[in-house]
Amino acid sequence: MWTTVLVSGITLGSFYTLIAMGFALIFGVTHTFNLAHGELLVLAGYVAYWLWKTLGLSFVYTFPAAILAALFVCLALQRLFSMLSEPLELNSIVVSFGVAILLQNGMLFFFSGDYRLIRIPALSQGLHLQPFYLSYAQLTLLVLSLLVIAILYLLMRHTYLGKALRATIQDREAAALAGINVGAMGILAFAIGAVLIGLAGPLYGCIHYLYPTAGLQATLLAITITIFAGIGRIQGLILGGWILGLAESFAVVLLGASWREMVSAVMLLLLLAINPQGILGKEER
Amino acid sequence: MRKEAVISKGLRHVHLVQAALLLGFFLLLLLPVLTGYSDYILQVFTHALLLATLALAWNILGASGAISLGHAAFFGVGAYGSALLSHDLGFSPWFTIPLGGFLATTVALIVGFLCLRLRGAYFALATLAFVEIPKVITDNWDGLTRGSLGLVGLPGLPTLRLGSYSLDISGSPVGSYYFVLCYALVLVSVVTLIFRSNLGLALQAIREEEIAAQAVGIQVQRYRILSLLVSGFFTGIGGALYAHLIRYVEPGLVYGLHFSAVPMIFAICGGRFTILGPALAALILYPLDQFIFHPLAPAGHEFLYGAIIILTILFMPAGFWGHLRKGQLVSIKTGSIE
Repeated sequence: MWTTVLVSGITLGSFYTLIAMGFALIFGVTHTFNLAHGELLVLAGYVAYWLWKTLGLSFVYTFPAAILAALFVCLALQRLFSMLSEPLELNSIVVSFGVAILLQNGMLFFFSGDYRLIRIPALSQGLHLQPFYLSYAQLTLLVLSLLVIAILYLLMRHTYLGKALRATIQDREAAALAGINVGAMGILAFAIGAVLIGLAGPLYGCIHYLYPTAGLQATLLAITITIFAGIGRIQGLILGGWILGLAESFAVVLLGASWREMVSAVMLLLLLAINPQGILGKEER
Repeated sequence: MRKEAVISKGLRHVHLVQAALLLGFFLLLLLPVLTGYSDYILQVFTHALLLATLALAWNILGASGAISLGHAAFFGVGAYGSALLSHDLGFSPWFTIPLGGFLATTVALIVGFLCLRLRGAYFALATLAFVEIPKVITDNWDGLTRGSLGLVGLPGLPTLRLGSYSLDISGSPVGSYYFVLCYALVLVSVVTLIFRSNLGLALQAIREEEIAAQAVGIQVQRYRILSLLVSGFFTGIGGALYAHLIRYVEPGLVYGLHFSAVPMIFAICGGRFTILGPALAALILYPLDQFIFHPLAPAGHEFLYGAIIILTILFMPAGFWGHLRKGQLVSIKTGSIE
């Protein structure tokens, strides 16, 4: 049984890393917190659900539409954030909190408050690998998450664009002096973040019920993993995702499913209590 | 000559604002008569007044420059504390409402212990995460709280009698309305006293320049925690009142985003560093939401609050009341926050 818990924790954790990556990238490049991250994820899930359920589109083809929807909102958000004054971090939190409320109510209006789940019969079966059980849904989640993480890693490490993004994350002024267009990097970060959300959203709709206020949980875990990892390290995000995934899986088994929601909140509070300066503190000192 | 003209214009402006406030106050006082004792309108304004008290309470912490996204934690604990004490132990609500406030203060102490070393964005994130903890505990502690089903049939506030007059507070919309109005007036006085006291001055100094405040000998952490505790106390009282007015509590309701987000939005939109701004915003915006946007879009009408907070931060960060009162002689003379 414990191996099953372990496997589900790693699977969930890999998916959480995928969810957190967009948030971490946007924060690293632009120093803004996007509290509407979870709502964007749920929105992408709803778009996929709607295409799959009402238009009967194959689940695979819902991804482009979900990405487009996320891209549209993310670029609008980027415009909004570029209008903010200092203190940027705090103002971005309050404004994106407003955007989250807008999105929640928009989704309530268009999709109603009913709980929705993308049920794909093929994914509900699984493999009885001794000594654990792996459902096809978990397998898909694990493989796709790791694949996307690997692609982003390669993009960041081995392309010129990735190098420019990393330079901006490390030191914006030095990057600007080296001739990198920091503003364009910000837009790019939001665009990549949107693609990641568009990929994660439909998957999220397969494993979690979709409802308009479901986003807060996803936002919290993205924040937790990002603060755990510090900025600019994909390895840290993976580790943070796995720790959170495992902690949630064990909490579900040991305490019960309803305690799961508290795990990321407690972890975030502990992280902040340990390192009250936040992520950027070390650089600023 | 020119200077005098500016001052007299400023004074006329002050008189106009004061007249408008006075008029608004009398309208509130006579609202039941003016609206023909319409239950619906009175209920909307009762809730608007309750939200006004929550925005005022939020702003006690807000005055220090901190932004909390998690005041529903205090609201929910106050509501549940008072609800359980009165429902299970049979105490009178008059006694359990302050106890609910003190329970919320205890929770505020925990928040302070965990989060007070945090500043700005990180404090906001921590408060956002913190709400989940009392919410999940309330949800799961079935034996004590009845879990996610909530608690129905709470004792209402008793009827007040004075000679032949009687005011049924929980039973009649008029009674509820006047009761919450009285509480709101009390809270406005309390907030005014706080803002004009040493605590208020200290908070003002802390939000303007924390290091400088420390340098002149203000005990920054002590005042920050004090403002958090007072803010949590009055938010808890608000939650307890709410529980006895609607006579029903449920985790999703009292720990919901509504009670974290809406008072915060009212406070910022009205003006974080003003006394009346948060309350005025609540009294204008909540009825606007209920009378105009709710009929238009019964599902999703709260998008209004999202739009308002975005527009406020972008175009009027001082809030509308703060904007109106900017640069007046009053603030220099009394040295107060307004």
